[in-house]
Amino acid sequence: MVLVELAKALHVPVWALRGFLAPLVYPGLVALLGTVLFLIWAERKMAARVQQRVGPYYVSPKLHGALQLIADGARFALQEVIVHVETDRLMFVLGPILTFTFLSLPFTVLPGGPGIYGFRSDFSMVIVYALLTLSPITVILMGWASSNKFAMIGGGREALLTVSGEITLALAILSVAAMYGTLDFVTAVEKQVHTGIIGLVSNPIAALLFFLAMLLLTDRVPFDIVLGEQEIVQGPYTEYSGVLYALTMAIDYAKLYALSIAFTLLFLGGWAPFTTPLLGAISVYIKSLIVLLFSVFLRSVYGRMRLDHAMNFFWARLFPLGFIALALGVFVHVIYA
Amino acid sequence: MIGRELGQREGYRVVELYIGPQHPASGHMRLVVYLDGDIIVRVDPDIGYVHRTMEKLSEIREYVRVISLIERMTIIDSCNITLPFVEAVEKLLGVEAPPRAKYLRTILCEINRISSHLYGLGIGGIFLNHSTMFMWGFGDREVFVHLASLLTGARLTHTYNIFGGVRRDLPQGFRDEFLKAKRYILRKLKDYDKVFFNNPVIRGRLENVGVLPRDKAIAYGVTGPNLRASGVRYDARLLGYAAYSELDFEPVVGKYGDGLERVWVRLREIEMSLDLIEQALKQLPDGPIFHERYAKMVPPAMRKWFEKGRVKLPGGYVRLRPRKGEVFSRGEMGHGEVTYYLVSDGGMMPYRLRIVTPSARNAIMFSILPPGHTLMDLPSIYGSMDYFPPEADR
Repeated sequence: MVLVELAKALHVPVWALRGFLAPLVYPGLVALLGTVLFLIWAERKMAARVQQRVGPYYVSPKLHGALQLIADGARFALQEVIVHVETDRLMFVLGPILTFTFLSLPFTVLPGGPGIYGFRSDFSMVIVYALLTLSPITVILMGWASSNKFAMIGGGREALLTVSGEITLALAILSVAAMYGTLDFVTAVEKQVHTGIIGLVSNPIAALLFFLAMLLLTDRVPFDIVLGEQEIVQGPYTEYSGVLYALTMAIDYAKLYALSIAFTLLFLGGWAPFTTPLLGAISVYIKSLIVLLFSVFLRSVYGRMRLDHAMNFFWARLFPLGFIALALGVFVHVIYA
Repeated sequence: MIGRELGQREGYRVVELYIGPQHPASGHMRLVVYLDGDIIVRVDPDIGYVHRTMEKLSEIREYVRVISLIERMTIIDSCNITLPFVEAVEKLLGVEAPPRAKYLRTILCEINRISSHLYGLGIGGIFLNHSTMFMWGFGDREVFVHLASLLTGARLTHTYNIFGGVRRDLPQGFRDEFLKAKRYILRKLKDYDKVFFNNPVIRGRLENVGVLPRDKAIAYGVTGPNLRASGVRYDARLLGYAAYSELDFEPVVGKYGDGLERVWVRLREIEMSLDLIEQALKQLPDGPIFHERYAKMVPPAMRKWFEKGRVKLPGGYVRLRPRKGEVFSRGEMGHGEVTYYLVSDGGMMPYRLRIVTPSARNAIMFSILPPGHTLMDLPSIYGSMDYFPPEADR
């Protein structure tokens, strides 16, 4: 294969090349950057369409404003990063960087296609989940370090919502794991390819739970309670400016991107119907792009849900539903076996 | 770490939160919120950031120039806010507008009311982070701003009402434009109901939030749609100023007075206003649009403008001297009831003009509604009130 030949030419072992390329190129950072650039443009264009507007346009009118985000990025890069006197300087500056680092680690084990992964592990689902759950801790610390009341309230909300969202996410992942009898993404996808039935069909409840928890954990409307612009300005990210602010914006999109790839692998059949690396990777990418576009489209339909309603929704409705999904997963596992 | 300090207030250990004046959702004002955990203990609205001394400025202007001054208090609703003042001065001058002018005033007032309500709904939408309602409200308001510009020639500050009449006659084709606008907005109102009003997330934010009972609403002097949502059938239009006495309408009245009902009253009042405009257009009498006494003062060379449906003001019009006396007048704006108390000493300028705007009266709701609710309910209460700071600060 191409990868093996490339490794031979560069005189490095194949596993090292894999471990380098997957998190950095695809499905990792380069693909993430391209996706975020496209996604934010598409999000704004879709919202504009619904709301009878034009959306971003005047930066590059020929491309219908597709370069708007690059212009914004350049502005952020050149802007002064203000670190005000009362902050906990070290944590304030390290916060966004650490969070973003945590969020780029799952791409080491998250497969982006058949044979396209950094490391293959029997516990890749657990590893991805664990790495994603690290980021809220630094976000809460960011809220504390900002020494701003809005940021502090935002950090508190992040803590509260993370707990309820991640339980639901864990139940959804567990029911898929029970269904396919594995904790490995690759094996789960192979099972789906083998049986020809995608996870969305065999366990729709788990798919719904996963999707809703994904919206909650990545602050998408209607669960953008942590950002809460109308009450707490930008939540934990209120005091940030310049490059650090751009990073805090990227946090949610990186998480959303990682989770929608996971959604594709678990529920949409991954690289099915293809089995070759190139076509498979394209299939995974397009499927996760559709999931991404759908989750950002909700912004033009819903408002922000109230904090106590969201908590009630997750603990009283979705948490019990999670056990039903788990039971359904076990039941399907018996049928498959 | 000043930001983390906790204070004491009324026996509670509370966080003192300053929302505004630099805040995405404060408007031109500041809300000092005291929080016990996530529960609001007390809110002190700190208003006056856009105080422009309207009452004092009107004492050094001739009566005609006061009209264009006071409509800047609420430029989105400028016909409604100037009409009671114009009628007060007319009472002192002893003139009455011709019937056609009265109907035209009514038509513009209702157009302004619709655009004011759409503005309020849009702001209410973005307070709940419903960006679609925000854009729809502002976009569809443009239809009615266009109608107003057809009638008056200006989009916002039209200075349409003058003593003894109005400044322009109804243009040709206005009726067709209005019917088009009516069809459009009735279709859009259905969309508002679907996407905004009956949206489960939005209903969850508004239902049983900021409940203002009937007795409290009366005791605190709340006015406008907020008062009617609490179940009080009070509308200054029922007094029958302009042409309202000849039109058939019934104020929209709610029951419980929660945020949802305040939004509902505004939505239904848009329909009511459309109906009123249609009635007024149907009953519109023929005749002059400017009082004879002043029309006679216009030099003959300028009379040709009257045939084109435009009023040219005579030179002596600036030096009007109403008789000595005091007048009280009121009118219903989009936000509520506006009252004027005019004292004239017989000179060319008002001796004193006391203005009480509806938003100034509704500002009390910031203190009485939020306590007991969570911080997330504060924008929802603010949004459902349709509060307009420049109007309250005058």
